Parts: sequence; structure tokens; C-alpha cells
Amino acid sequence: MDPLPNGNNVAAAPPPPSSSSSKLTESLKLEHQLLRVPFEHYKKTIRANHRLVEKEVSAVISALPHSADHDDAIHHLNSLVSRLQGLKRKLEDGSRAERLQAQRCRARLDHLESADGDNISEWNNTRLKRILVDYMLRMSYYDTATKLAESSNIQDLVDIDIFYEAKKVIDALHNKEVAPALAWCADNKSRLKKFKSKFEFQLRLQEFIELVRNENNVQAVIYARKYLAPWAATYMKEFQKVFATLAFTSNTGCEIYKVLFEPKQWDYLMDQFKQEFCRLYGMTLEPLLNIYLQAGLSALKTPFCYEDDCTKEDPLSQESFRKLAMPLPFSKQHHSKLVCYITKELMDTENPPLVLPNGYVYSTKALEEMATNNNGKITCPRTGLVCNYTEVTKAFIS
Amino acid sequence: MELNTIKDAFDRVTKKQKVSSSKSQETIEHVTQEIERALSRIQSGTSQPDCNSILGELKTKLKEMVPLGQLEATQKELNLAMTKYTKLLEKQFNPDISKSYRNVDFDFHTVNQIVASHLYREGMFDIGDCFVNESHEEPVIDKKTHFLEMYQILESMKSRDLGPALKWATANHEKLQQNGSDIELKLHRLQFMEILKLGHRDEALKYMRTYISPFSNHFPEIQKLMACLLWAGKLESSPYTELLSPTHWAKLAHELAQQFCNLLGESYQSPLSVMVAAGVEALPTLLKLANVMMGKKQEWLSMKQLPVPVDLDQEFQFHSIFVCPVSRDQASEENPPMLMSCGHVLCKQSITKLSKNNSTRPFKCPYCPTEVEVGQCRQLHF
Repeated sequence: MDPLPNGNNVAAAPPPPSSSSSKLTESLKLEHQLLRVPFEHYKKTIRANHRLVEKEVSAVISALPHSADHDDAIHHLNSLVSRLQGLKRKLEDGSRAERLQAQRCRARLDHLESADGDNISEWNNTRLKRILVDYMLRMSYYDTATKLAESSNIQDLVDIDIFYEAKKVIDALHNKEVAPALAWCADNKSRLKKFKSKFEFQLRLQEFIELVRNENNVQAVIYARKYLAPWAATYMKEFQKVFATLAFTSNTGCEIYKVLFEPKQWDYLMDQFKQEFCRLYGMTLEPLLNIYLQAGLSALKTPFCYEDDCTKEDPLSQESFRKLAMPLPFSKQHHSKLVCYITKELMDTENPPLVLPNGYVYSTKALEEMATNNNGKITCPRTGLVCNYTEVTKAFIS
Repeated sequence: MELNTIKDAFDRVTKKQKVSSSKSQETIEHVTQEIERALSRIQSGTSQPDCNSILGELKTKLKEMVPLGQLEATQKELNLAMTKYTKLLEKQFNPDISKSYRNVDFDFHTVNQIVASHLYREGMFDIGDCFVNESHEEPVIDKKTHFLEMYQILESMKSRDLGPALKWATANHEKLQQNGSDIELKLHRLQFMEILKLGHRDEALKYMRTYISPFSNHFPEIQKLMACLLWAGKLESSPYTELLSPTHWAKLAHELAQQFCNLLGESYQSPLSVMVAAGVEALPTLLKLANVMMGKKQEWLSMKQLPVPVDLDQEFQFHSIFVCPVSRDQASEENPPMLMSCGHVLCKQSITKLSKNNSTRPFKCPYCPTEVEVGQCRQLHF
């Protein structure tokens, strides 16, 4: 039980709210993805350029002839020189890409730095737009994402080009083609391995299933030997299960094998790809919008939101938000927080709550104003009761 | 957070990248030069053994150069700088803000509907249409047409045309009065001042008679406007210059948007903006909580109420919440807040406990010396 002095003071005040600047810092700390994603992109370009140099230079050196007759030697060396010149040109393009990506990284650092008290509402507005573009990109609404980014001039702050890389693979998977997905796996082999990604194996399984579906049994076996066997040690169970489809064929009634032939397997692959893709770029696996919405819903959800007289200003007065909040916990309060029904202002020591004879509570400010305008008479807006200002009493809330 | 440190770390990456990239160029240049030199020697000489020995020399020379080995050192430094930067980002930021995310059913159709409504109500009609189209959602036609009207009115106001605004206010005269809004009068007043600014005194008077005089209950306001008539043509030097201020336009546009939403039964601010802003404030606390509860996945998923309060700004305080200072329970319909005769407030259950369930026996208020009787306690409605 908290001690509460008698008298006109409302005590046991809640801990002082963290200052707005530390709140701002806390919110900026949520922006990991904003800096991380373009940097991963930058890194990827740097690595690709470096690999290109390594590959080409060593190829040129090993292609040097030991001996050749005069004309052959000239011809050969000339071709090597032009190969190196080609490499140089490619590298120049690569450097351009590197520069652009470094610029983008820097633009985002500057954007974070630009957040301060003066422009915060505009900055918050941009943040919401960034979050929306992120949502649209993850949902593959590319046109809307591009439009929104262009209209708000935030192209440097969102990752449209990166998601276009994903688009090719997603579209192909949509058309039940695995080749682009496999090419993507090959491109990112070492990093996928680091994450112990299973995605390539899953793609291979699906290809195998398609062969079985088309009753190309011999080819299926050859395929399995070549592409599935290397994974078998790690994922023996799945390997065995999928291999057994050869015996059951695609029109099996057996539930465990039947699902493997269902078209939703492709949707599953698509989801799987999106996850791997996000992981590779250091993005959250869920859209930012969902993360922020869930946090907001948990913080705002109270039993009062579900009452008929819930104010319209509360998003949870809307069916759509209520639906999303359904599986989430209610918020918790350690201290009373009272809002005046009339002015919607906080009732605290500055503006203490007053009680009408019927038990309805309003802020001092609201009732004083009403009394001044109506010769000391108060009308309760919820019950219609009329009384004198002198009849109201103070309530002490802790 | 130290943005400067982060920036420095990033600068280091770009510097190393530049070194590494020019080193690559240089290496390629060297190899090319060596081959070209050998080439010109072969071209100048003709005999076969010469040719073979030149090729052999070139081979040894390039082998000695170890061109790729030269790249290694700079590449290593670059890799180091990149790793450091990534680590720094992870340290300075919350590397995974989805930690507190619950993998519950989060219906994307509902989210799409919310996004579409948001785009329309923020006046982004083209983008809203594009979104509805691309997401194959049911179009939210109501929202679109209503807000389209609002933005047309506001656009006209921006170009100093009050026509559509006045038309809307007149059409909604009754409802606006019911809500206690005097926006109609304010719009007329602004129009009146615009006429007067042009020096048309007669026209202004006529306008006053037709449109403003019906608002007779705003008598002082009308008097003031009438007095302005006397200053027609030299309003700038009148005591009423304040009425000429262009801020009236901005303020009135703001108020109109508010009233417009009010009549539509919509909140003034986009619910999505409010929710995301609340989410940004709440997320740091929730992430800390998720960290603490890391090992208790089941508990995390099944909780009915958050175990800690999440402090939000006052703008997100939409409801009065009473927490009994004795039991720490949140008041509810079954356990309402009760006012004791001394003015202190407790929840009903706490009062029942303190009185030992005996409604005639007085008990001492926990916060002051007053003796309280249960019968005298009154239920409060916040």
C-alpha cells in the first residue's frame, strides 16, 4: 500500500516519464534494418567485384601458353589483353554500383541524424511511409511501393531495388519454376550455408516430386542421386519420405505423401524463399508494419476499447483493429490515469478530478468553464443532471 | 546512440573499399603491361626459340608477381572494416525488433484494408487506388469518396476559395450545430473579411445581412465585424488587423478537417498513424520484456495481460483507467471505483475487505484518519 497524504494533493505520482529525447533515442534504436540492408547490398557488390577480379586474373594467368609458334603467341596474348581490358570495364561499372550503394548507406545515416525535436512530426510521417513501403514490397505490391516512395521522395530510404531481385524468383516460383530460385541459391551459397539454410534442399525435393508426378521415374532416380543424395546425411527423414513417393505415385490416398503433391507446397516454397531472402539482407522476417502494429495494439488494448462509448480517436474503436488485437494481451497499468470525458485532458494535480452528486467525474477545468458560462450551473453531459458548482466535491486519486 | 561513431566506422569501410578497388585496378594494369611488353617483344623478333623463351619469362614474371596475393592484404583490411561496422550496428541498435512479435493470426486482408483506408484518408487517392488494385482487396469506396470531398474543400481553401467549404457547412448546418461547432460562422466571417479586404463595403454589408445575421446568438462577434465595415479600405490600420491574419486560413482548414471527420464518424488522425506511433513508443519496452522472458515461450504466448506497464505519451490515453491503490487491481464493472466520505477513492472489493464485509461497521480510511462507513461510499464514473 502506498502512503498517501491527506489533503488536496494527489500523491504517489507515477515515475517521471522518460524525457522526450531519450524516447527519441529509443525509437531510433529500432532502425537497425534501415542501415543494415543497404550495407549488406554494398557488401555484396564489393564481394562480387572482388570475386570477378580473382576469377579473371587467375584465368588469364593460367591461360598463358608455354610455347607457341609466333603467330599463335601473338594471337593468344592479344586475346588475353583484351580479356583484361574487358575486366577493367566491368570493374568500372562495378565501382559505380559500389559508389551508389555507399551513397545510399550514407543517406540513411544522415536521415537518422536529422531526427530531432523540431521536425519530429515530419520525420515520423516519413517513418510511417517507409514502414508502408516495406510492407508493400514484402507483399509483392511493387507498383504501389514505387509510387508511394516516389511521391514522397524517399527512394533512398527504402529498398525497392533489392526487392526487385526477389521478384524474379517469386514470380518464377509462382509459375512453378525453380531455376531462378536455384540460381539465387548458387549466388548466395556461402551465406546460406552459414545460416544452415535448407531452402536449396527443399527446392530440389520439389523438382523431384514434379518428376514423380510426371511419372519420369528413371529420371527421378537419376535426379535424386545427383542432387538429393548430398543432403541426405543432414535431412535423412525428409529425404526418405520424399523418395518413398516413387512407390506411392501422385494419385496416392496416403495422407503423408498426398500433401507433398499439393500445389500449396509451392506457396510454402515462396514463403520459405521470402524468409531466406530477408535473413540474408538482415531484415526482420516479419514486415515492419506488423511488428509496429502488434506493439501498438498490445500497448493500447484495454477492456474499455470494447465498450460502446469508446472514443473514435482510439483506433481500437474500429472493428479492423479489434480483430487484429484479438489474440494479443491487454495492456497493464500500475497507476491510475484519468482522462476528462469533456476535455479529453489528463486529470492530475494541475487539473484535479471533481465529483458531481451523481458520482460522475470531470476535470476542474471543464467544470469551471461550464460554471462560468452558465451562472454556476453544471450539466452532466452523460446523464443530463443539473447541479450547482458548489455541490461538486474533490476526489483524491492515487 | 552514437551516430558519429557509426559514421566514422562507415567512413573507414568506404576508405578501405577505395584502396582495395584501386589496388585491383593497379594489379590488372600490371598484368596487362607485362603481357603487352612480351607481346611487343615477340612482334619485333621472329625466331621460334625466342618466342618460347619470352613466353616462359612472362610466365615466371607473373608467377613472381603473385598478383592475387597483392590484393589479399587490402581485401583483408576491407573485410575487417566491414565486419566491424556490422558488429557496431548490432551493438548500437536493436538488431532484431521482431523478438517480441507473436506469431499469431495476423490477417493480412484486415491489414490491407487498414492500409487502403489510411492512404485515402491521407489524401493519397492515386496510391490508394493502386494499392487496392494490386492487393486485390475490396475497394473501400465510402472512405474514398468522403475524403475526396474533404480534400477538394481543403485544396480550394489553399487557393483562397471558400465556396466548397461554405457549401459543405451549409449542407451540414444542423449537424454542426448539434455538435456545438461554430465553424459555419467562422467560414462566413472569413469570407466577409475577404470581401471587405477588396474594399467592397456594400457587398460586405449585403453578405453580412444574408449569411451572418442569422447567427444572432454570436452577438459580440457580429458587432466586431460590423465595426470592421467602418474601416473598409484601411483595415490594416484598424483595431481589427488580427482578423486579416493569414493564419486564420490554416487554422480554419485544420478545424474544418476535424469537423468533417467528426461528422463522418471518423477520428481526426489516421488510426494507422496513431497505432504505429504507439507501437514505436511501446516496442522498446516490449523488446526488453521479451528478452527477460526469453526462456518462457509458452508463458509469453499465453499471457492475457502484459506483466509490465508500457508508458505511452498522453496523446495515446484514450480511456480513464483507475487502479485501486490498495489492491493494485484495475477497476472494472464488477469492481468499480468507490468514493469514500473523505474523498479518497478505492475499488469496491478493497472497501469490502477493509470493512470485513460488515456494511454497518465503520472502518478507517487507509490514507487518512477518517472513519468511513460502507453505506456512505459512492460509485464513481470516470
